[in-house]
Amino acid sequence: MDNHIRKVYVPMTETGFYILLCLREEAHGYSIVKKTEQLTHGEIKISPGTLYGSLSKMEKDGLITFIREEEKRKIYHITELGTQVLELEMKRIERLYESMKEARI
Amino acid sequence: MKDTKTEFKLFSIIEWKKEERYLREQHKNGWEFVAVNFIGLYHFKKCEPKDVVYQLDYNPESVTQKAEYIQMFHDCGWEYLQNFFGYSYFRKEAAFMNGADEEIFCDDASRLDMMKRVLRHRMTPLFVIFFLIIIPQIILQSQFDTFETHFLLAIFCILLVVYLVFFAIFFIQFWKYSRNIHK
Repeated sequence: MDNHIRKVYVPMTETGFYILLCLREEAHGYSIVKKTEQLTHGEIKISPGTLYGSLSKMEKDGLITFIREEEKRKIYHITELGTQVLELEMKRIERLYESMKEARI
Repeated sequence: MKDTKTEFKLFSIIEWKKEERYLREQHKNGWEFVAVNFIGLYHFKKCEPKDVVYQLDYNPESVTQKAEYIQMFHDCGWEYLQNFFGYSYFRKEAAFMNGADEEIFCDDASRLDMMKRVLRHRMTPLFVIFFLIIIPQIILQSQFDTFETHFLLAIFCILLVVYLVFFAIFFIQFWKYSRNIHK
């Protein structure tokens, strides 16, 4: 993983995190929106402008890859690099969570 | 009573927020936006007064991937209206909003990304004009002392001020978003 990717994606936005999380399975844009809403009990609603921009940026940077098109909807899947980035983020969030729990006691 | 109207309005490439408010206000007053043409004529047709939110996106990629782009917004309930010099126009009724303050962007990072696209594709030509034409012309015209050169000098000085104000507004907006992201 080069420095550019690290700089841009670690830490990443909540939207970015949920996009990568959802794309561990093949999915198109709108299904990412729906799944994220489910996972966060309606708290995070990804908007189409943000989603479109993130998907094309992540595709360019090689974090996700275009699989095929279905009814004018592009289906994507996470790549090896994307998985590594997601893993880094998960570790970072785990650390945050641990620190938070300690602070609460 | 006429069923259509046309208004002349000019918004600079950095005033999309102002333009969105203008279109929403028109719809509230019973004028539904139909189209805008290249000289800044806004066409409206009479409609039921309604609160409809208008939003602009700037994304040059959307030109080559138009069907997928429009589909994604459509899935999220945004009606695509037209493309105007790289800006895409969308609208959605306030009553159908997914949450009270729904916009086509849901975080400052993506708002900043849109500004970066505007900066790269639209502001760069202005910088070129500024540094390759306006500045050299001011230096050149100030060397001579005739009526014509004074006249030209005055024009280029006015342009200089206009450009500087324009750049300043853009960078203040830009800075506001990036400050929100990095704090």
